Amino acid sequence: MLKVENVKKAFGAATVLDGVNLTVSPGEVVSILGSSGSGKSTLIRCINGLEKLNGGRIVIDDFDVAKPKELAEARKRSATVFQLFNLYPHMTTLQNIALAPVEVLKRPRAEVEQEARALLASVGLSDKVDAYPAHLSGGQRQRVGICRALAMKPRYLLLDEVTSALDPEMTAEVLAILAKLAREGTTMLFVTHEVDFARQISNRIVFLDKGVLLVDLPTKKFFAASGGLAQPRIAQFLSKMKKD
Amino acid sequence: MRYGDFTTYDLLLLAQGLGVTVGLFLVTSLIGLVIGVLWGVVRFYRIPLLTPLITFIAELLKNSPVLVQLFLVFFGFPAFFHLNVTPVQAAIVTLSANTAAFIYVIAVSAIESVGREQIDAARAFGLSRWQVLRHVIAPQAAAFSIGPLTALLVNQLQVTSLISVIGVMDLAKIGATLNLRTLKPFIVWAVVGLLYYLTAKLIAAAGARYETRLRRFSEFRGL
Ligand SMILES: Nc1ncnc2c1ncn2[C@@H]1O[C@H](COP(=O)(O)OP(=O)(O)OP(=O)(O)O)[C@@H](O)[C@H]1O
Ligand SMILES: [Mg+2]
Repeated sequence: MLKVENVKKAFGAATVLDGVNLTVSPGEVVSILGSSGSGKSTLIRCINGLEKLNGGRIVIDDFDVAKPKELAEARKRSATVFQLFNLYPHMTTLQNIALAPVEVLKRPRAEVEQEARALLASVGLSDKVDAYPAHLSGGQRQRVGICRALAMKPRYLLLDEVTSALDPEMTAEVLAILAKLAREGTTMLFVTHEVDFARQISNRIVFLDKGVLLVDLPTKKFFAASGGLAQPRIAQFLSKMKKD
Repeated sequence: MRYGDFTTYDLLLLAQGLGVTVGLFLVTSLIGLVIGVLWGVVRFYRIPLLTPLITFIAELLKNSPVLVQLFLVFFGFPAFFHLNVTPVQAAIVTLSANTAAFIYVIAVSAIESVGREQIDAARAFGLSRWQVLRHVIAPQAAAFSIGPLTALLVNQLQVTSLISVIGVMDLAKIGATLNLRTLKPFIVWAVVGLLYYLTAKLIAAAGARYETRLRRFSEFRGL
């Protein structure tokens, strides 16, 4: 279980997360919606240990990310896909994927590389195994980013607006992969602006507004007039999203 | 044959001088590289006390003439601490320290030029600080720094000629000796200059070759 308990995060005087509670159980797909600046990326960065908390607690399968000794174990259980891919530019696709499994999980390189090739094949990138990120399209880069995360065999896959730097065609190719992962039962915490897609694949949807978690509802309920839509902030957000 | 004529033995002397220059250059560059990079790593880990100390030493070394540093090491320290320092020892210490200071600057800016977002990714995947340095930062920093490093080394080669003033028999000192004997400064200094030039070209060519190899991942292929 991934548990976010009463988490507070501030940058200087600005409170960015204000008492956020969230639980993700294995097998669930939970989407996080919210307008720009609401703290979605910050929440993901708190979960993967890139930001220090100012209050509250985050535990991943009982490992507390705030404790240096437990953070390493927590990080082995989650893997992040980033909005801007964050690939290592000096490494080939294969090396990008193999780095963490070999260095962090201490798995044999040959085995890891074989799995990496299979992962790349599964996202249609068999011919890009030895390509450098600079020579890939945005959609291809993000598919590599997803493979890099999956190679860690994470219990929880964290995705932060993984399609927002991509054009519609590339977005579609990446979303197709995520839909397949969701069908296969991958646990995902999914920050997105793709409301329709979130509606298709999520078990639950949470809505962040200025660092406060406004609602946490089963998908159907979130989109019901009596559920999430009853909240003016959410209705406003969804209607704005439709227009874009 | 008169005393002032060139002899084949002079060629041997020149070769010997070149050998001393190149030898000292290689040794001090290597020591400077190791120390400078080490200082850069200390700064990367933000080790308290040590980091400001290193920055201070590097500032001193960068902002004072090498010749003054050389005199301090060869005349000053031995007088003050009652040490025995040979010209070659003084040359090695001074040139290594000076090279280290400039390599430190290059190392720091190369490390800082690696994108924060990649480091975040590596950390989020559980790589330790050391693993991030070794696998993500170092290869890219090396590629970034090879250009400035080559320029620095070409310059440091020329700087080695200063050690002739404390009596090291390097290429410049051999030139001065030949000049005194033959009284043909044009020929002597032209030949000596050419030898420095060719050695510098060799360093630059090696740097360029290495750079192509290190930067093969780069998007930049010229305009
Ligand atoms: N390192 C930082 N230093 C200072 N302020 C920050 C930092 N990171 C984020 N913030 C601030 O925190 C707030 C939330 O940022 P965050 O990136 O989490 O928003 P977001 O919901 O992901 O937005 P978007 O949809 O645009 O990605 C913003 O106001 C932002 O300016
Ligand atoms: Mg964001």
